[in-house]
Amino acid sequence: MGRPRGFDEQAVTRAAVALFSRRAYDGLSVDDLVNGLGVHRNSLYKTFGSKRGLYLTALRWYLDHDLAPLLTSGASPFPDPAALDLLLLAAVEQAPFDPEVASLIGDALASLDAALGPDAATALLGLRLRARINLKE
Amino acid sequence: MATVTIDGDTLVVEIEGMDKLWALKSRLTIPLDKVRGATADPGMIHQPKGIRAPGAHIPNVITAGTFHLAGEKVFWDVRDPAKAIVVELADAQYARLVIQVEDPRTTVSLIEHSVRRP
Repeated sequence: MGRPRGFDEQAVTRAAVALFSRRAYDGLSVDDLVNGLGVHRNSLYKTFGSKRGLYLTALRWYLDHDLAPLLTSGASPFPDPAALDLLLLAAVEQAPFDPEVASLIGDALASLDAALGPDAATALLGLRLRARINLKE
Repeated sequence: MATVTIDGDTLVVEIEGMDKLWALKSRLTIPLDKVRGATADPGMIHQPKGIRAPGAHIPNVITAGTFHLAGEKVFWDVRDPAKAIVVELADAQYARLVIQVEDPRTTVSLIEHSVRRP
């Protein structure tokens, strides 16, 4: 399919990861995304197909390029708990209603368990959940 | 107002009531492999629409018919922007459809879970 690119798709994907890591999927309108990503509405649709298309692209990018390296580094304590935010939000909000998201998040949680051990992984997610209440804008 | 259904491998958009007259269309059928996704987008109404031909455009009342903008053809059928969804197409007669549906969340979910992404 011909998909003209008027912008740096990778930079937009990374910016979308940042937006979806802070606010819930349903809390972000297309207006919010257009303003936050600095792209034209039609370019957004042309490149990603839909808001959910952008979300799935951002989620896959995040899992492969942000989360996976942290897990394989084996560093202890976990170096960047804030990097768990999109995993937490996706698990709570989108996964229960979207089988594709559920599958991606299920795999990511299994990787987290494998890397840290299930107890440490669960504790880490719980601590991050509690820390997020003081998230600064 | 439009009703969206999936019939096998085809997305079927039926334009209802008087909107058929304004939009000059009663039915659009698009193969699912040309459908790239759908989004509930109340803000879409504020986008530039381009040149209408044919159809009706009475700002703040109805936007219906075929619009040409930047080399793209976009089909509109919207009276209530709060219920507008954007259906993005590829290699089809229209670049995208902007249509009003009764329940945007349900229709978007139906389309999103019917399209196959590469």
